Amino acid sequence: MKRKSPATRFLISLGVGAFLLIASGHVDELRAYQGAQVAIYAIAIASIVLLTGYSGQISLGHGALMAVGGYAAVIAQIHWHLPYPLTFLIGGIAGALAGYVLGIAAARLRGPYLAGTTLALAVGLPSLANQFHILGGEQGLQFDVGTAPTWVGKDFTQYRWFFWVAVVMALAIFWLLRNLLSTRYGRRWRAVRANPTAAALTGIDIAKAKVLAFTLSSAVAGLSGALFAMLLGLVAPLAFTLTLSFTLVTGAVLAGVSNLGGSIIGAIVLVAIPELSNAVATHLGGSDRVTANLPGVVTSVLLIVTVLLAPNGPKIPRRHK
Amino acid sequence: MFVSRRNKGGIIAAAAIAAAALVTSALPAHAETGVTSSTIKLGITVPLTGAAAPGYNKVPAAMKAYFDYVNANGGVNGRKIQLVIKDDAYSPAQTLSVTNDLILKDKVFALVGTLGTANNEATTRLVNSHGVPRLFVNTGFSGFADMKKYPTTFPLFPSYATEAKAMGKYIADNLAGHKVALIYQDDDFGADALKGFATAGTSFVAKIPYSALSQADPSVVGKWITSIATAQADTVIMFGVTSATGALAGGLYKAGLIGKVQMILGSVGSDGTTLKGLLGPLAPALAGSIAASFLPSPSDATDEYVNLFKSVNAQYNAGAAFDNNVLVGMNSAMLTVQALRAAGANPTRASLMKAIEAKGSTWASAAFSPILYSAKSHVGYTGYWFGKLGTDGNAVSVDGPGKYTLYTTDSGTAPVVKSSPARTAMPAKGLPTN
Amino acid sequence: MTTFFNTILVGISSGSIYALMSLSLVLVWRSTRVVNFAAAGQAVLSTYLGYEAMSRLHNYWLSLPIAVIAGALISAIVESFVMRPLAKRSKGSPVESIAPVIATLGILGLIRGIAGLVWGNTFLQYTSPLSSKGFMIGHTTIPFSPLNAAIVIGAAIVLAFFAAIFRFTRLGLALRAASFQPEISRLSGIRVDRIRTIGWAFAGAAGALAGALVTPTTYLSPNSLDLLLVSGFVAAVIGGLESLIGAVVGGLVLGVGFAFILQYIGSEVTFSAAFIILIIVLFIRPQGIFGRGGSREA
Repeated sequence: MKRKSPATRFLISLGVGAFLLIASGHVDELRAYQGAQVAIYAIAIASIVLLTGYSGQISLGHGALMAVGGYAAVIAQIHWHLPYPLTFLIGGIAGALAGYVLGIAAARLRGPYLAGTTLALAVGLPSLANQFHILGGEQGLQFDVGTAPTWVGKDFTQYRWFFWVAVVMALAIFWLLRNLLSTRYGRRWRAVRANPTAAALTGIDIAKAKVLAFTLSSAVAGLSGALFAMLLGLVAPLAFTLTLSFTLVTGAVLAGVSNLGGSIIGAIVLVAIPELSNAVATHLGGSDRVTANLPGVVTSVLLIVTVLLAPNGPKIPRRHK
Repeated sequence: MFVSRRNKGGIIAAAAIAAAALVTSALPAHAETGVTSSTIKLGITVPLTGAAAPGYNKVPAAMKAYFDYVNANGGVNGRKIQLVIKDDAYSPAQTLSVTNDLILKDKVFALVGTLGTANNEATTRLVNSHGVPRLFVNTGFSGFADMKKYPTTFPLFPSYATEAKAMGKYIADNLAGHKVALIYQDDDFGADALKGFATAGTSFVAKIPYSALSQADPSVVGKWITSIATAQADTVIMFGVTSATGALAGGLYKAGLIGKVQMILGSVGSDGTTLKGLLGPLAPALAGSIAASFLPSPSDATDEYVNLFKSVNAQYNAGAAFDNNVLVGMNSAMLTVQALRAAGANPTRASLMKAIEAKGSTWASAAFSPILYSAKSHVGYTGYWFGKLGTDGNAVSVDGPGKYTLYTTDSGTAPVVKSSPARTAMPAKGLPTN
Repeated sequence: MTTFFNTILVGISSGSIYALMSLSLVLVWRSTRVVNFAAAGQAVLSTYLGYEAMSRLHNYWLSLPIAVIAGALISAIVESFVMRPLAKRSKGSPVESIAPVIATLGILGLIRGIAGLVWGNTFLQYTSPLSSKGFMIGHTTIPFSPLNAAIVIGAAIVLAFFAAIFRFTRLGLALRAASFQPEISRLSGIRVDRIRTIGWAFAGAAGALAGALVTPTTYLSPNSLDLLLVSGFVAAVIGGLESLIGAVVGGLVLGVGFAFILQYIGSEVTFSAAFIILIIVLFIRPQGIFGRGGSREA
């Protein structure tokens, strides 16, 4: 398929956005909430795809980077009284800073070492909130982006507004990333991922390319963390668990780790699995035990099967080479 | 782009279905959300899985058992009560997700007994915007009585600050001169307690904060014990959840401090049967611990409420061991039934909340403390009694079986008042007739 | 001063548990160059089986070997049915080092889910007849009990056992050869696949022992060994990820380190501290205390 120009992509994004925003007026609040969830997960998964699919690094700690972004956004609102669109930006910047530091360490590590190190981060970082009182302890801090402005219309529900915000952010991020990946940076990362030795021989500074990828990925994760905080209305250590980090990796794998667009599918699957397995559990006349554990079993089996059948991710035709 | 044509089709189809659903649901409503001519649907979120689950996961089943009992005896104004139970694994994000389901999909009339402070906090915006009554939340965080921030929320338990003040008074009266250490969960729960102890003027030789759930780590518990030993405390207060109490008792036992250090347990973390399950053969280590409670002891065979709940439990709750969690669940369920009855023949969310404010203080409940609900206050219980845990894990009043001294106070600076409890007598067969 | 020594004792007790988990990770790493994130899940499952054995036989000492054998079998099954096919399929692809991480995470989740389905998400007691009451020295009780002693001894026996196998037996030689030079090993007649499965089985046994020994000091739930995985990994990295003795020393260093952080700073920072320790070790001495050079790019 022919490569599209940034302008074409922009128009497509605009079209998709307009369609989704209009559609949001015709679905109930629950679907709007789930739509917002999908958009936020899609951004978070994209951050993993960027890292793993395009630069060959892995992170089991992106939940912690989301926490960094979420907390930064909330603090920016509480202490600096910034309007909330700016707090999202702060979330992204904070994620980038944390990611840059982490990326320097990460560039020296590969595969399992990096996985274990980021795992320790995912476990350790959120509990730091208990150590510093500015972070609100176990209870967390409240985050209020307010209701929809009047110009969007009357009777605009909270979740529909969150959906709008999340969709607009998601489209902007995807548009930016898509364009970035077709620049020389994207090509470098792919070269590093495919064959580091060959990449080094062609004069690519591998460490630099990796750190940059990690920083960018963390910025995206931080931004999604801020959006996540918006949806929850708060940040708290319990909201950014190890499970969240694992969930993101799962979403990325299910989406096919080397396909940015797949992030959307991964996000839809993540939101759909609990719903579907809940329905199945109820259908089976399931006990609490089944209802509580079935989603985990289903996700894990999908993960194992996916990685066994297609270690490189599902063979989705790559339309954006 | 990144939504394939097929997906777009799916979204359009979904939108069309949803739009159709919207049209049908927008028809003039005959009844309030969650109420039909034959049913009333309620919802609850609790941790059924994860580290916070043991003990608390018994509450919803106990509530359901009592509702089934009422349903079998005609229900509320001919309507059967249904309880939709959702697991949140104690994660606020999860609580919000499942509460969305409860309110937007299951369309419950009200929430009852939702558990956890941060968890209830995370759903407040949703609950407020839909005007969903949130009754008898399972948390003692005093903030939930703030009617401006939480207009539809009715806390029931005495606040942690109340509990700490009562405990401070008990220590001043009975354990003067002792060297007391305090272990507390480092969040609003613990902060509330610190505030109460400060008001009561209790002084500590050691204050040991810990972060929620870290009690599962043996080395955290090891630190508590060395701190207690270092401060040479002879009394230790545990202001945490049940698993933290279990961890403390285990730690004291391991250090050979049982019998040398008196444990005083907050109401949140003193459920006997859960502790027995957690501690296994070490359970006797708890005997002699002082525990604060507001409900009667589950082992009190002279208490009419306890006896009724026991028989309901035997008949409707498939073999669950009768303990404090069951008692809490059934007590909240009994209050819920009275609230639903008082809300009128065609209950609405507004009439339900109005009924609680107007009449809640007169209703039958197992607790010895009065209920303070009024149009101006959403504070529920205000008092505690103190008991000693027996080898069976249940508390017996320090004044002797069946004799209770109630320590009543508020979350602020009011003094602690000691009194003999007086409560509304139980309606015949435990079936409200209000 | 008493506090100081008590803190060290607390650290040695928990450090021995970290050491066993760390041994399990190192054994897998040595045989297949994979960090087994499913180790926590495998150990939980074998401990549940030990719990079942105990509730039928009413004897902890009989249930212990059952749990250990179950752990070895579970680990061998995971290697044969998931990891080996995966290694063959992803060989030479850009995700060769990432795919196993994801697969083991999947197995971890699957085992947790199955344990929740079968045994429920409540806390179970798997009790040991050994007292958890600390030894008495004079009139003071120290925070070190017969149960702690069993854990330390268990770790020591396992270490000695594996060290002897690696040093003195043909199996040990084959294990080492298969991991470092699989092609040459294959040519010289070593059945590499089978040898790798044996390596995993050993690792599963060590993890199972960790689970069966530590659970009586706490409780059993589908997630109860998750944090142990993180500690085990940090310990393994401190020890160099290659060395058995390094794994044990790493575990003890980490245990004592944690105990001091807990005692003098607070429980909130322990895992952040683990992360920082990890980063420092990886920067200053990437081959670990006992590693023999080479970078972490392997």
